[in-house]
Amino acid sequence: MALLQISEPGGKPAAPIHHRAVGIDLGTTNSLVAASGGGSVESLPDADGLHLLPSAVHYRKNQDAVVGAAAKAAAVDDPENTILSVKRLLGKSHSEIVAQDSHSPYHFDDSRDDGAPAMVTAAGVKDPVAVSADILRVLRDRAEVCLAGELEGVVITVPAYFNDAQRQQTKAAASLAGLRVLRLLNEPTAAAVAYGLDSKDQGNVIVFDLGGGTFDVSLLSLRKGVFEVLATGGDTSLGGDDFDRVLSDWIAEAAACAETLNSSERIQLRYLANEVKHQLSVDPSVELSYGAWSGTIDARLFAELTQSLVDRTINTCRRVLRDAHLTVAEIDSIVLVGGATRMPVIRNAVSSFFAKAPLADIDPDKVVAIGAGIQADVLIGNKSADNFLLLDVNPLSLGIETMGELVEKIIPRNTTIPVAKAQEFTTFKDGQTGMSLHVVQGERELVSDCRSLARFELRAIPPMVAGAAKIRVTFQVDADGLLTVAAEELSTNSKAEIQIKPSYGLNAEAIEQMLESSRDNATADMESRSIKEAQLEATQLIDALASASKADGDLLNKEEATRIDAAVARLQSALSDGSSNQIHALCEELNHVSGDFAARRMDLHIGNALRGHLIDAADNSIEN
Amino acid sequence: MQQTKQNHFQLFKLSESFELDLALLAENYHQLQLEVHPDRFANAPEQGKMRAVQLSSYLNEAYDTLKSALKRAAYLLSLNKVDVEQVSQSDLSADLLMEQIQLHEALDELPMDDSALPVLENFKADVVTKLTSRERGFAEALQQGEFASAKQTFHEMQFLHKLLAEIDSGEERRLAY
Repeated sequence: MALLQISEPGGKPAAPIHHRAVGIDLGTTNSLVAASGGGSVESLPDADGLHLLPSAVHYRKNQDAVVGAAAKAAAVDDPENTILSVKRLLGKSHSEIVAQDSHSPYHFDDSRDDGAPAMVTAAGVKDPVAVSADILRVLRDRAEVCLAGELEGVVITVPAYFNDAQRQQTKAAASLAGLRVLRLLNEPTAAAVAYGLDSKDQGNVIVFDLGGGTFDVSLLSLRKGVFEVLATGGDTSLGGDDFDRVLSDWIAEAAACAETLNSSERIQLRYLANEVKHQLSVDPSVELSYGAWSGTIDARLFAELTQSLVDRTINTCRRVLRDAHLTVAEIDSIVLVGGATRMPVIRNAVSSFFAKAPLADIDPDKVVAIGAGIQADVLIGNKSADNFLLLDVNPLSLGIETMGELVEKIIPRNTTIPVAKAQEFTTFKDGQTGMSLHVVQGERELVSDCRSLARFELRAIPPMVAGAAKIRVTFQVDADGLLTVAAEELSTNSKAEIQIKPSYGLNAEAIEQMLESSRDNATADMESRSIKEAQLEATQLIDALASASKADGDLLNKEEATRIDAAVARLQSALSDGSSNQIHALCEELNHVSGDFAARRMDLHIGNALRGHLIDAADNSIEN
Repeated sequence: MQQTKQNHFQLFKLSESFELDLALLAENYHQLQLEVHPDRFANAPEQGKMRAVQLSSYLNEAYDTLKSALKRAAYLLSLNKVDVEQVSQSDLSADLLMEQIQLHEALDELPMDDSALPVLENFKADVVTKLTSRERGFAEALQQGEFASAKQTFHEMQFLHKLLAEIDSGEERRLAY
């Protein structure tokens, strides 16, 4: 962790250390991990040489969770204890999950009323974050075997159209799995990186990404190493799964058993439909039987059955073009991503809409993980990034509730991130000391049609006459697409107390609790592992600070230097015999006392054009 | 280390005018973003990351302001100490107001299905033409230092932009996005 990653002009080049960083595609149906290990980025295999890990988790009483192909097979016999397509559950409430699949085999624990769905399994209550973490752990272990050592950082991909709650929960799952997240990267952007990084391609690229359970379209402009997303659109509840469902409904209808299926039969039928769908991507027609029934399905019938799903994908392409103010003729290439784009119905629809043959040179199942692996290499410092830049956007508008349950947009969709926007509010009653704000995400005009992200209570506003208080609320979306909100009363310069209540899923406390309990339950092996991680972090931090002080010691004042030295000494003495928690706490302390120094160093090194100017600007914008 | 604050034009090394080389703006924006983007500091301590987010957000905001003709116009007026928040009756010509009302009525009377799309398309072309001529007028007025006239033209541009947004949302409703 070189402090602020600034190369020292004229300094000795650092030894070429290869950091272990990976890209992870946490998919609805399958997940993958990719890394370079020094050479080109490739997906990593398990002990049997398999790259795709089915995103299925089977929970058993008093035994470890089974993840992958074995779990997928177990779903037929033990549907209520086997979680499939957990990605479709992330960031959603129980009622939304039921609305999206009325045949869900899981038993939900209704006593948890925080909106997050908790599934009762043989191994206890599991929510989507815990299930996702179980998948991530398997990928982490695989990567650590392949790369022969502990991971230093990961880039995890998410659908571009994931909302804030879905992103927060993905990140929470990664922390729960003991992974350090360098960045959440949008899947279509990752695919564009895999295609475009080493080529001299310029122009406008459409990435059409139809995965197992989610759909994204992104339009990027590629120019001299800069990947700028112009617009993105999608549907986080549309994917290959839906094609399976349509097909299995048709089979059930034809076999006249639609009313009598149990969970197990339903899953079996879904697997059959999935096989038939794959076969139809190769053969013009497929003969199949289910129970006593047998019949034939051909490409034309399949196209008819899935017409409305295909239309939805094309309609999204139309909207993305419109948002970017571009026409079909201005698109230079189309990249297909996701296993579901192997279906001829999709390929044909895409080629005919864009009047151009799409590219699928890189395995559509692997391309996202490969792109994420490339970005992980760049972010951790393995790969020079002098002219490489990803500029992504927020997929959904962010707004607040105003009078009459209307939404006032604060940050419109397709705004380049990171972005900060401030909005001023005032009190409407004399002596008013509190105010509540409701943050929503979505494009519709009515609050009830958008997704509720959080409710904020502003407290301790100094009592004044109505309209005199000026409360500035700053919305900050970071490079992971995650939102934070800060509030401040301007006329008295006092910070209003802010309380965040996420409307869906887990709040920070709940995640912290899960982390704590996972540490408590950890085996000796786990503890020694987390000690090693903490020691690694601490050593890197100390080294980085030492080289930073050597290079820019003149930026340190005496008092600051003393405080930093003391913190370093405390950390160093805890290194040999401290617990991981102690070491973490001391690292945090050191980060804290050296923070101003780090910021000054950064300002010094960001170039003349920005210096002074931006210090000023940044101080005015947030967190002052 | 505090220096005189640069305006957005100086930040992107461009001369302060309404007519802008958008390609050059983009290129200079990319250059600066390459230095401060949070991806450059993904492996840095918390404070460094936070700083990068702030600086990069600021650059995005500045770029967004100059990229859009309407925001650029407002920004140029504010650099010349013209308050664009205050709109008085005299800022808007009676003709323009009348025209607005008629256009709004015409929009409301259109059928709600996609048969209205070609009509909307024509409306849009018409508004864009008007807008282009206003933008030319704005650039000229500003160059001559005629701020009152520039301000009036700016408010007309605002009206036309609002109308464009309404046409857009009318189209989107009919396209069922």
